[in-house]
Amino acid sequence: MKRALLLLPVAVLALLVLLPFLWTVSTSLKPLTEVNRYPPEWISPSMSLKPYGDMFFYLPFSRYTLNSLIVASSATMLTLVVGSLAAFAFARFRFRGRKQILLVLLLSQMLPGASVIIPLFQLLKTAGLYDTHIGLILVHTAVLLPFVIWLLHGFFSGIPTEVEDAALIDGCSRLEALRRVILPLALPGLGATALFAFLGSWNEFFFALILTNSDATQTIPVGIGLFVGEFEDVWNQMSAAAVLFSIPPLILFMAMRRTFVRGLAAGALQ
Amino acid sequence: MRRYTPYLLLTPALLFTVFVLVYPMAQNLVNSFRDVSLVREGGGWTGLLNYEHVFGDAVFWLAFRNTVVYAVVGTLLALLIGLGLALVLDMNTGKMSSVAATLYSIPWVISPVVAGFAWKWLLNDHFGILNYWLSSAGIARNGTSWLGNPHTALVCVMVARAWQFYPFAMVMFLAGLQSIPAEQYEAASVDGATQFRKFFHITIPNLRPVSSVLLLLGVIWSFNDFNMVFVMTRGGPINASMVLPVLVREFSFVHFDLGKGSALSVLIFALLVTLSFLYLRVLARREQA
Amino acid sequence: MKRIIAGVALVALLGGIFGLSCGRKEDAVELQDWNFGGKPRMIEWLRHRIDAFGQTHRGIRVAQSQKSWNMIRELLYADFSVGTGPDVVNVHANYAAEFGGAGYFYPINAFPDFQEVRTWYVPHLLESTRYGENYYGLPSSGIAFVLVCNKELFDREGIIPPRTWSEFREAARRLTKDTDGDGIVDQYGLVLLGGDKGGFAYRLIPFFLKAGADVMSSDLKTVLFNSPQGASALQLIADMYQVDHSITPGFLAYQLTEINDIFCSNKVAMSIEGPWFRGMVDDKSPGKKIYTVPVPVPDDRIAAYDTASTLQDMVMYSINARTKHPEQAWELVKYLRNEEADMAWIREDLGAIATTRSALGSSEARNQSDLSLYVHELAHAKPWPPHPGMIAIASDIFTPYTQKAIVGELSPREALDQAAREAQEMIEGKR
Repeated sequence: MKRALLLLPVAVLALLVLLPFLWTVSTSLKPLTEVNRYPPEWISPSMSLKPYGDMFFYLPFSRYTLNSLIVASSATMLTLVVGSLAAFAFARFRFRGRKQILLVLLLSQMLPGASVIIPLFQLLKTAGLYDTHIGLILVHTAVLLPFVIWLLHGFFSGIPTEVEDAALIDGCSRLEALRRVILPLALPGLGATALFAFLGSWNEFFFALILTNSDATQTIPVGIGLFVGEFEDVWNQMSAAAVLFSIPPLILFMAMRRTFVRGLAAGALQ
Repeated sequence: MRRYTPYLLLTPALLFTVFVLVYPMAQNLVNSFRDVSLVREGGGWTGLLNYEHVFGDAVFWLAFRNTVVYAVVGTLLALLIGLGLALVLDMNTGKMSSVAATLYSIPWVISPVVAGFAWKWLLNDHFGILNYWLSSAGIARNGTSWLGNPHTALVCVMVARAWQFYPFAMVMFLAGLQSIPAEQYEAASVDGATQFRKFFHITIPNLRPVSSVLLLLGVIWSFNDFNMVFVMTRGGPINASMVLPVLVREFSFVHFDLGKGSALSVLIFALLVTLSFLYLRVLARREQA
Repeated sequence: MKRIIAGVALVALLGGIFGLSCGRKEDAVELQDWNFGGKPRMIEWLRHRIDAFGQTHRGIRVAQSQKSWNMIRELLYADFSVGTGPDVVNVHANYAAEFGGAGYFYPINAFPDFQEVRTWYVPHLLESTRYGENYYGLPSSGIAFVLVCNKELFDREGIIPPRTWSEFREAARRLTKDTDGDGIVDQYGLVLLGGDKGGFAYRLIPFFLKAGADVMSSDLKTVLFNSPQGASALQLIADMYQVDHSITPGFLAYQLTEINDIFCSNKVAMSIEGPWFRGMVDDKSPGKKIYTVPVPVPDDRIAAYDTASTLQDMVMYSINARTKHPEQAWELVKYLRNEEADMAWIREDLGAIATTRSALGSSEARNQSDLSLYVHELAHAKPWPPHPGMIAIASDIFTPYTQKAIVGELSPREALDQAAREAQEMIEGKR
C-alpha cells in the first residue's frame, strides 16, 4: 500500500519534469497544419512518423549524424587513453608538483569556451585544421580531459593497491600491472567515463559551431541550433531531429547510469 | 626511469592542457592589447584601448549583470529542484527508484541544444503549450511573448538552464544523502526528534560539503554557458538576455573585432579565477573549523 | 569485455579514416555552392537546375549547401577570413561594397564574355552589383519593399489599403481588436521583423525613404538618417506601438517564419515585405489573398505618392575571389542566372522578380501578379548606400537604437542622434 502511495507523486513529478521534452516529442509526430494550431493538443488527429523522414530535406542530417559519430567516438577513445595515463599517474604515484598540476587541470576545467575560442580559432586556422574532423576531435578531447581525469582518478583510487602489489611481486612492470590487473578492475569505471566523454562530445555545440563551417564536418547540434526555417516554420521536423539526436545519449545513459553515478559520487566526495 | 614515469604518463594530458589553457590565455592576453580584426591583416599595439572599449560598452555591463543573475539564481534554483527530487528518490528503493532516477535525469542527458529548442517551442507565443495553460488558468493570455519581451527573456532562459542542470545536482545530493550514517538518524530518533528537526539538524548539515561543490561548479559552469542563451534568444531581444560568453562571440564573429573579444575573454577568465580562489579559501577555512 | 573495447576502438578508427578520406579530391572539378534562404519550391528548383548543370557540363560537380539567411554575414566572414568558403554564393547585392571592396568576391567583369552576358539584364539592376570599377555578381531577384495587407481582415473591416501615414495608423488601429469577445486583443494591425537584425532595418527604412529622408550623403561621408523626416518616420512606428498598441507585442523576437504563421492565422493585418510574401502565404494557406501596395507616405507628401522611394534590394550570385576554379564557377553562375533560368522564376512563381530583360518583357511576365507594382516601385527605389560599413551600421547600430525607440526606452530623436553619432564614428574609422 505504501509503495502505491509513493508511486503516484513520483510518476507525477516525472511527467512534470519531462514536460518540455514530451512536448517536443508530441510536436515531432504532427503534420505542420496541426503544429500551428490553437488550442494546442498533445495528441492530434493525423500524427505520423512523416516529419522524421522529411527532416532530411533542408539539411543533410545523415551527413551530420556521420560527423557526430566520427567526432564523438574518436574523441572518446583519445580522451580515455590520455586520461587513463594521467589518472593512473595521480592515483598511484607521489611526485613533486602533483598538487600543482592537479590544480592546473582543475583550473582548465573552469575555463569558459568563450575565453579560449578566439585563439583556438586562430590556431586551427594556422594549422590547417579549421573545419576538419581532426580539429574538432582534438578540441573536444582537450575540453573533456579535466573532468575525465577527475572521474578516472576517483575510480583508480578506489582499487586497492594490494592487487597491484601482488602482480608486481609476480614480476610485472608498472605498466604491465596497469594493463593486466588494474584495467579489468577499472573497466566499469572506464565504461562510465567513456559514456560521459561520448555524451560530452556528442552534445557539444559551441566549439562545433565556430570551428566548423561546412556540411562535410558539421555535427547535429549545429544543424539543430542554427536552423531557422526561412519560409517554413518546420517545428515538427526540427523536433524530430531533436528527438532522434537524443536517443543515443538516452540509451547509453540508461545502460551505464549506476556506475556513472558511483563515479560522480566517488569523485565528489574525495 | 622509474622516477620519471609519472611525468611521462602525464605528458599527453599536459600537452592538451597547454593547447587548451595556457596557449589560448597567453594569446588572448596578447590579442587584447592589439588591434586585431577577423577581416583585416596586421594589428598594431593599442595598449589598453580594447579594455576601454569593453568597459565603455553599455552592453558589457548589461551582459555582466545578466550573467551573474543567470549563474547564481539559476544554480540555486537547480540545487533546490535537485535536492527535492533527491529526497523523493531517497524515500524509495528498488526498481521504481531506479526508473524514476533515470527519468528525472533526462534533462541533463539530452543536449543543451535540444533543451534550448524544447523550451523555445514550449514558450512560443501563439502555439506553445505554456501559454495555453496560463490562459486557461487565467494568469496570462495567449499571444504573450516570453522570449520576445525584454523583461522576461532572461528569466525564461534561466529557468531552462536550471531545468537542464538540476539532474547533476540531484545525483550528487542523492549520493550525499545515502552516505549519511544511519546512526545519526537513529540517535536522533532515540532523543525524540521529529522528521522536521532531523531534516534541518542532520540532513542539511551533512549535505553541506556536497552543496558547496555543487554551488561552485554550478555557478562556474553557468557563467560559461553559451549554448542555452544562444539557442533560445541569441542574447536578444535588444540584448536583454545577453550573457558574457555570447557577447564574446558577438564581438569576435559578428563585429569582427578580435581585440575587443579577446579583452572580454581575459576579463571573464580573471573573474572566474578570482571567484574560484575566494570560494576555495572559504571552503578550506570551513573544513579546518 | 576486452573484445568489446577492441571492437569499439576499431570502429572509431575506421570512422576516423573514413571521415578523413571523405575530403579527398576526385578527378572532377568540385564546386561548393551555398544557397541562403529560399522557399521549398525554390530550393527544389535550384537542385534540379544544378543537376541539369552537372549533366550538361561533364567534369564539374556541384556540392550544394543550404544555409540560413539571418547568419549569412557571420558565416561568410568566418570562412573568407580563413581563405576557404564556397565557390558560388547568393548574397545581398549591397555586399558588393563590403565584400567586393575587401577583395572577397571575384570581379566578374574580368571574364571575357562579360560584355555579352551583361546585356541580358536590366541595366540599373546590374549596376547594383557594382562597386568601384568592378561588378561582383549576376543579378538574381529584384526586390522592393512594399506593404502587404491581409485581404480577409481588410474586407471584413471594410477598409482599403492605406496610402498616407494617417490612413496607415488609422487602419492599424481599427484592425487591432478582440475578435472572439473574451476581452483579450488577439488581432493586431502591424507586425515587424524584430528578431532579425539585418531584416528589421530593411523593413523600417522604407518609411524613412518615403518621408524623403536619406541614409547617407551621396559622397558617403555623412550619416543622414537622423534628419527630421527620419525622426518623424520613427515617431510614427513608436506611437503605433506605445500609444495605439497596434503592433504585435512579441515582434522583437519574430523571424520571417513567425510572421508568416501569424499572418496566415489572421492574427495580424499588415507587414512590410517583398516579392516572396505572396507565395509564402499561398504555400502555407492555399488560396489566402493579400493586397500589395506601396509603403505609405507622410500626409504632406501625398502628391509624391507615385514617385516617393522605397528600399531597393537585390540578390546576386557571386564568386569567391579565392576560388580554385573561377572559369567553372562562372559557368555555374551563368547557368543559374541566364535568361532560361530567369523565365523559370516567373513561370514557376518562385517568389522573386526576374532581372533579365527578356523575361520581364515576356507575355508570361505580364500574368505575374504584382509585377507591375514591383517594376513601378523599383523604378525609383533606392538601395542602401554602397559603403563597405553599411551592413554593419544597419544591423548593429540602426536596428538596436530604433528598436529601443519603438519600445519606449529612448525617444526617437535621441535614438537616431545616438545611432547617427556611432555610425559616423564608424565611417570615420574611429571604432
